[in-house]
Amino acid sequence: MTWRLSVRGVRTVAGLELRQRVRSTRWIAVLTIWAVLLGLLTTLIRVAVHLAADIDAIAPGVGGGEAAAGDNVGDQIGRLMFGLIAFLVLSLGTLVAPALSATSINGDRTAGILAPLQTTLLSAAEIAVGKLVAAWTTALALLLTASPFILWTYLEGGTSPLRLLVTLGVLALTLLVVCAIGLGWSSVASRTSSSTVLTYLTIAVLGPGLPILFALCLPTVQQEETVRVRQLVPAGLYLPADSAPRCVESREQLSRTHTERIWWVLAPSPYVVVADAAPRPGDEDTALSGWDPLTLIRDGVREARLGPAEVEDRCGDVATTTRPDGGEDTARERREERNALSAVWPYGLAANLLLGLGFTVTAITRLRAPIRRLPRGVRIG
Amino acid sequence: MSEGGISARGVRRAFGNVVALQHIDLDAPAGAVTALVGPNGSGKTTLLLVLATLLAPDAGHVRVAGFDPVRQARAVRARTGWMPDVFGTWGTLTCREVLRVVTDTHRMPRARAEARIDDLLGLVHLDDLADRPTQVLSRGQKQRLGLARALVHDPQVVLLDEPASGLDPRSRVELRGIVRDLATAGKAVVVSSHVLSELDEMADRAVIVAEGCTIAVETLDEVAERPRTWRVRALDEQSLVAALDARGIPYGEGDRYGREIEIASDVEAAEVLNALVSDGVPVVAFHPAGGVLERTYLALTEDRR
Repeated sequence: MTWRLSVRGVRTVAGLELRQRVRSTRWIAVLTIWAVLLGLLTTLIRVAVHLAADIDAIAPGVGGGEAAAGDNVGDQIGRLMFGLIAFLVLSLGTLVAPALSATSINGDRTAGILAPLQTTLLSAAEIAVGKLVAAWTTALALLLTASPFILWTYLEGGTSPLRLLVTLGVLALTLLVVCAIGLGWSSVASRTSSSTVLTYLTIAVLGPGLPILFALCLPTVQQEETVRVRQLVPAGLYLPADSAPRCVESREQLSRTHTERIWWVLAPSPYVVVADAAPRPGDEDTALSGWDPLTLIRDGVREARLGPAEVEDRCGDVATTTRPDGGEDTARERREERNALSAVWPYGLAANLLLGLGFTVTAITRLRAPIRRLPRGVRIG
Repeated sequence: MSEGGISARGVRRAFGNVVALQHIDLDAPAGAVTALVGPNGSGKTTLLLVLATLLAPDAGHVRVAGFDPVRQARAVRARTGWMPDVFGTWGTLTCREVLRVVTDTHRMPRARAEARIDDLLGLVHLDDLADRPTQVLSRGQKQRLGLARALVHDPQVVLLDEPASGLDPRSRVELRGIVRDLATAGKAVVVSSHVLSELDEMADRAVIVAEGCTIAVETLDEVAERPRTWRVRALDEQSLVAALDARGIPYGEGDRYGREIEIASDVEAAEVLNALVSDGVPVVAFHPAGGVLERTYLALTEDRR
């Protein structure tokens, strides 16, 4: 009875919620402001990025930039813009989405319109899921309004269609999780202000909170250990002046940070999920690759997951093309090792979805009637 | 106890340390209007929440339309219409849409639902406001919409929590008519109120609760056989007083509404009136002072103030 879920029931509740929302808020005004804000920020980012890249891009006409720039550099700029906009939409979306669901249950309770729904044939699950669907639909409307700007940065080049789709998909699912968190808190807290604050706190913990936690945990995984170190011995110091510099291996006591033990703290952060889910651009080996925020975070997290290298290589700094010892390029090796790692985002996304599911289940159990234990301060009706 | 009604025995419900219902017995047979009467905070609303499947009792045996509201909540909900005391509504929806949502939640087929909605809007006289958003309705109009909402699925059991509050005199009269019609149609109706005079005119039975306990169950016919105060007024005050004196009937202070006299039963009241008229007293009014229920209620709750 509690868990019965029918399409008609969910549709009834979602339709009711959406109609209420569409009529009671000036949603066209909200969407317009949202679009204007995003448009403004996208334009600013475009101008700033082109200026920073020191390219004469904003010169004659709008959109003439890519042609002037070299293909590769243009792609870099496009990717950077795409990454920035993706994060911007994610940040603003997680800022707005709680408003859509964080008061939906306790607000209805206060207004006396929840109990009349509970005494109908609707199950608790249908009420909760219907409210979630309504909130998510509204969030998707925001995402849809943002999509022209995401598309614009996509057209700047450098981003694969797959990356575009995956980013949009992960953004949509993240917004779903945020809506579920709001729904859950609104069923637990009796006051709408408490549930709103709790929802924002939860999102703050997930978004910037987890990376901060990761940073704070770093000292705990620091360790003194003896490792193999390869060091460059320049000509003229210990070697004959005319000889080539050599790479020498020795053992040294070093303090190293084993991020591979705590990398998973980073994984559920929506920023990490979005960044890691975006497929890597194709031209992996160029020196310029990886200075867009998505790739940067993606590589950073995977680097953390690898932890310190077995051999501390300090020779690689000198030559990227020819190494004095003629040995393997360890930096390249490292990059290959990093790319061979399985993706982090499925774990992060799964953790987030699980969290969302948990909050939804909480909401359902809190909507169950007849109530046996009434939480403090809750009035039925 | 007939299948269609309500039967509650020894219902108990506490919220933490506060005992809202201590020991409630309530029978509401089908085809009758049962008034639930009691002071503020006596547990009327809590009891109705239990009957409406929203609140589980801590103890006691409850059957609504033959089903257990805790374990068979769905069956009870399909057969029960509940009108809450605090009436909330989806403000931006029109009256018609509100009722349509309710028909959807009860899974009524569209065509049947539309016909039912039209009937109900007519019944509560909201047809001319059918397409206005409910937030523009007055309190009384909202109350009437709430009644229509409770009746959407043609329930066997109707629970009305303070249905008359906020209603204008005409709407009260109409509410009484609707409630009586429901009983005539064989529904079990429970009406809670503390406006006792209006319950007098629509209830068949009264369950009086105080401090979470059922303290009396009365049928209104029985109450008529009890002693109570009547009010008599004549055109000529002196001849009235003289006649009462002559017959040895004690009377109270006079005012412009006449004099109060104590009479044992309705039969005796008829006799007194007959005697006064035959004595030549120009009687213009002869009626019970205060409602039937009011008197019983005041007598029963006197020691509980």
